[in-house]
Amino acid sequence: MANRTYEVMYIVNPDTPAETIGKLNEAVGKLIEKEGGTVVRMDDIGIRRLAYPIQKKEDGYYVLFEIDGSGQEIAELERRMRVNDMILRYITVRVDEDRKAATKRREKREARAAKRTKFRQAPAEAPAEA
Amino acid sequence: MAEKEMEILDDRGLDVGEDVIGDRPRRYQRRRPRQVVPEYVDWKDVEYLRGFVPERGKIMPRRISGISAKDQRRIAKAIKRARSMAMLPFVAD
Repeated sequence: MANRTYEVMYIVNPDTPAETIGKLNEAVGKLIEKEGGTVVRMDDIGIRRLAYPIQKKEDGYYVLFEIDGSGQEIAELERRMRVNDMILRYITVRVDEDRKAATKRREKREARAAKRTKFRQAPAEAPAEA
Repeated sequence: MAEKEMEILDDRGLDVGEDVIGDRPRRYQRRRPRQVVPEYVDWKDVEYLRGFVPERGKIMPRRISGISAKDQRRIAKAIKRARSMAMLPFVAD
């Protein structure tokens, strides 16, 4: 149950003043720490054009958090984001499992590549296909 | 029928695949031969995902993009996540 890694991204209304956004981000960080999680990375992406309008807005202020934790802090954070009018959209993605799968895949590919070069070096039996 | 199956098996290495539409397989030619997809498909990497989203905004079918079924699922998931955050369009016209 213990350690999970999440990516939380949210879009803030671009009309909110910069200091309010700063305060909001700070509050998110504090909430995570309070609930027992740790903020691995905080990325203030900034204003970006939306692919389609959300609440009549054409732009959005993007913020990305990477969080280590149990999942409880995510539940609390999502509850708060849902009621916050400044936040147009949010998404939480659990990334630890996908990353593990990715490293496994990389190892597999490397092992296969190593095997292939070994095979090719062996005399007589050159592989037919590249 | 058995002969046909053999033929399809032999084509594996080539850029030919089959879709089962109705009761018989339809064969097709891949537009992009055998693509390699990175180990981790990041849903935030819009520039990469755009390669699988033609102008209309639809997800490119596997028969065109030439990636494996497993990779197609990963790409599709990433595109859908990016869409929900308005980083990619649902429809573009």
